Amino acid sequence: MRRILMAIPVRRTVAATAAIVVVIVAGLAATQLAIGKKLAIGKRKERPVSGMDQQKRAAHALNRLTFGPRPGDLERVAQVGVDKWIELQLHPEKIDDSALDARLAPFRTLRMDTRAIVENFPNNQIIKQVAEGKAAMPTDPALHAVYEAQVEKYEDKRDRKATAQNGGTGPNTIADRDLVLDSGAASMHADAAYERRREESQARNINVRELLDLPPDERYREILKLSPQEQHVIAARARGPKRELMAGMNAEQRETVLALNNPEQVVVDELLQAKLLRAIYSDRQLEEVMTDFWFNHFNIFINKGADRFLLTSYERDAIRPHALGKFEDLLASTAKSPAMLFYLDNWLSVGPHSEVATGPPPQSRERPRRGRQIPKRRPPNSKAKAKPKQASGLNENYGRELMELHTLSVSGGYSQQDVTEVAKVFTGWTIERPNAGGGFKFEPKMHEQGDKTVLGHRIKQKGEKEGLEVLHLLARNPQTAHFICQKLATRFVSDDPPPALVDRMSHTFLKKNGDIREVLRTMFKSPEFWTPETYRAKVKTPFEFIVSAVRATGAQVTDARQLVGTLGNMGMPLYGMMPPTGYSMRAETWVNSSALLARMNFALGLASGKVRGVSIDAAQLAPGTPDAEQALAQMEATLLGGDISRQTHDTIAKQLEDPKITQRQLDDPKRPPNVGAIAGLILGSPEFQKR
Amino acid sequence: MFLTRRIFLRNGALAVVGTAALPSFLARAAYGAADPGTRTKRLVVIFQRGAADGLNIVVPHGEASYYAMRPTISIPKKSVLDLDGFFGLHPSMSSFEPLWKQKHLAIVHAAGSPDPTRSHFDAQDFMESGTPGIKATDDGWLNRTLRELPAGVSPASAADPSAFRAIALGPSLPRILSGKEPAVALNNLNDFSIGGKNPKAVPISNTFEAMYANSVDTVMHGTGQETFDAVKMLRTADPAKYTPAANANYPKGRFGDSLRQLAQLIKANLGVQVAFADIGGWDHHVNEGSTQGQIANVLGDFSQSIAAFWTDLGDLGEDTVVVTMSEFGRTARENGNRGTDHGHANVMFVLGGPVSGGKVYGRWPGLDQSQLYEGRDLAVTTDFRRVLSEVVSEYLGNKDVKSVFPGFEGGSYLRLLG
Repeated sequence: MRRILMAIPVRRTVAATAAIVVVIVAGLAATQLAIGKKLAIGKRKERPVSGMDQQKRAAHALNRLTFGPRPGDLERVAQVGVDKWIELQLHPEKIDDSALDARLAPFRTLRMDTRAIVENFPNNQIIKQVAEGKAAMPTDPALHAVYEAQVEKYEDKRDRKATAQNGGTGPNTIADRDLVLDSGAASMHADAAYERRREESQARNINVRELLDLPPDERYREILKLSPQEQHVIAARARGPKRELMAGMNAEQRETVLALNNPEQVVVDELLQAKLLRAIYSDRQLEEVMTDFWFNHFNIFINKGADRFLLTSYERDAIRPHALGKFEDLLASTAKSPAMLFYLDNWLSVGPHSEVATGPPPQSRERPRRGRQIPKRRPPNSKAKAKPKQASGLNENYGRELMELHTLSVSGGYSQQDVTEVAKVFTGWTIERPNAGGGFKFEPKMHEQGDKTVLGHRIKQKGEKEGLEVLHLLARNPQTAHFICQKLATRFVSDDPPPALVDRMSHTFLKKNGDIREVLRTMFKSPEFWTPETYRAKVKTPFEFIVSAVRATGAQVTDARQLVGTLGNMGMPLYGMMPPTGYSMRAETWVNSSALLARMNFALGLASGKVRGVSIDAAQLAPGTPDAEQALAQMEATLLGGDISRQTHDTIAKQLEDPKITQRQLDDPKRPPNVGAIAGLILGSPEFQKR
Repeated sequence: MFLTRRIFLRNGALAVVGTAALPSFLARAAYGAADPGTRTKRLVVIFQRGAADGLNIVVPHGEASYYAMRPTISIPKKSVLDLDGFFGLHPSMSSFEPLWKQKHLAIVHAAGSPDPTRSHFDAQDFMESGTPGIKATDDGWLNRTLRELPAGVSPASAADPSAFRAIALGPSLPRILSGKEPAVALNNLNDFSIGGKNPKAVPISNTFEAMYANSVDTVMHGTGQETFDAVKMLRTADPAKYTPAANANYPKGRFGDSLRQLAQLIKANLGVQVAFADIGGWDHHVNEGSTQGQIANVLGDFSQSIAAFWTDLGDLGEDTVVVTMSEFGRTARENGNRGTDHGHANVMFVLGGPVSGGKVYGRWPGLDQSQLYEGRDLAVTTDFRRVLSEVVSEYLGNKDVKSVFPGFEGGSYLRLLG
């Protein structure tokens, strides 16, 4: 494929009457000349603009169905045949992924149910109960140490708070205000004191060197024996660069040491790291792409309370199993997931005419059950009845987002009345003891009595089944089909996908009862997917950029936490989108000055081995070449499949003269070029920002 | 080729932006020669994302129905910081009190969008595009504002607009600033370079610059241009040396950081004309809190950051107007979870040297059942564009308000500006 390259240098002049110089250098073709040679895939002939040649098809498929090609992927896909490879990706169960499983093995929380997560990595509510003697301290020595460390921390914090409050002046309004303003400063002061105490105790009691000299098992036992404060110090160190403290320990021991400092953070860390490791290393790439897509569609913010420990199960049990399955199943599993019920507040929504709101019927006036998690709600027979306004416990949050974001779309033709009615339908869909890791439960006492009307359909009163009926209604709605297909095509085809394609996909969606695999197949078989205009036309999101860069370089990730942090700086923290809208997939969101600089800096850092926890074998990217030009050509092929413009190539080639890159010195003219610097420039180039 | 909106816009921009070779000295001229006394009028827009509860921010404590509708989350009369006998500030906003008394701070209540949507996403989009109800608008109103600004507003000696003329604090460029005029997103001053402060990284930086300058991809080209112009300006101007004024106490956190850095850019005389920052965490469906709790915390962060910014600017505040907005308000009644759901009208703050402050503007629609919008929300009596167009036209001097807010049949200004 030849390229017509245009350079349009237009300069601003000082005068307002800008003389616009337009230089069009046309026919500067064949940039990929020597570069593509190494690929040994077919000949690149001129082809009609209506399609792509085999190599481009392979590259395109990889760019769109995966998080970017790894070294050798292009050849492999071309060898298997693009269509056959796509079909295989549509059936992830047929792809062996044991290499990834081995990488994820140390992250035990990924395989725990929520209850086990909460028990092993207690949240603040659990600790509070233990501290107040309402729950028992576990007896297992490791767990005991974790709990004890947290209880200590909790009590310390409580004491500091009390101290800070005693510094206040009294319960009048002015003092209230001062308290709000000053509490930050007071706690900062207390924090500093606390830190100092920690450091003192460290200096006094812990000989870290001695600990490090012990064999792992013994070291672990010694750490458990330390006082809670000393454990904090140790655990805080373990989180930082001093990871050798945990060297040689098994997964459980490592998690325990980290949990001494902050148990909930262990759960979050593992989830975040796993997300990156899966995207980078899974061979079931399409499943990963779709899991990411659906999580973003049914977005949940990880820092909203219980969602810190609910998301592990949410992604694993509610999203992933249905990523290529039926949309209605996916919708229902998210609707029932404690993570979503919590995030969009539905678990608290109470029907205005439910038993909870109006009081129990006279014959069954029983005490409210213990452990009910409707905070601060008055018992049904108290004053609540006297204040009917407050008894209206509807919470519209889920009802609205269900229609706006999950199914119909904002222009899907529903009214405020529909939002209220849907909210009534879902009253009673709640969580059994959320802080203890309980699951979904339908609570009839919270459920709004009577029939409802949603989008003109009469929903007969039938408890929990009303919700399923509404989900069914929404999942089969043509507006939903169109909205979902539009979004899929935006992810896979282009920012503004051709309407005809979206229509065909919607047709499949409705005909095949929301079968996601079938919808994808329709898209992948469509001519619109394969037009040259779509080739490398999508701007990568920060997540796609980082993952594709790691994949392209064949880097080994032993600790993904710095990658996690970089994504935060790029404005795309993992599971970190607070509103339910999810992240944009469009170019304009992600192309801006701050983002571009972050990408270039990451590219340089990654390629020169400066990203902690990620090692890169730069020599492997351009093996055995002492010549910088040749190294550049090789890496253009490896990292970009040769899809580099003449301009970018020339700009980098010019830079090759820089002594920093040639590494040439007078006495040693034959040192290999600085492959890392060249790779960094390629990964930071405009071409690599697209897929 | 499928033209994305931005590509389309950038094609337009390409006709006026230059190549990498030229702007370095020009850019230097732009700020280097600018005399520190140059008066650049600037507008800072702050967005409270997530629908702030205006009724608990500027509290109508003179309304009995306010207390009737919010039995657990209203702000008690005795805690409100009274402004005029009817309205009062939430107690965690005491840092706004001096600004009010000095008449630098004006309030517009029951302001909002005429569009009825209660979708966060759509409502924010409309407020940023400046065209409620119309989704096809490609660019943001703050970007359009720059189009027709009189020359005198740029730094005096600059023939060229500064790379920092339009800036968003944050990792991405928001809708409000997207469009034909170059605009820069800056997340962190310290990261806004290639390879940090290491002089050895300059050649690599130049290589990237050349790469993007030569790119035939118009999106990458345009953004790369804006980026490296800004990088070079920063390298010389080094705004990091402008530390906050002694009594400017920015709270810890993203919003405080944003405004602190914005103040540095302004003090470094980088020619900032319009700026944007946002603060999230307002969507309180559950346990909103009253004098304390969620809303108190986020309001403390919000008001203290703005007050610190104001203090930090010192005399430069004379040429600064800050406007705050949020996509819609929240239900007049509290819901069953001691929170509030999505509502309609909200409150806007307007702060600045030229502002006629110490007054609550706008017609108060009342909170009786019959006065509520759709029986549940505070009604909108002041279109948000009425506030903004006054600032754009009467302060910044862009008289082509019809282009900035197409389709808006404004009516008279509130006369917020003295």
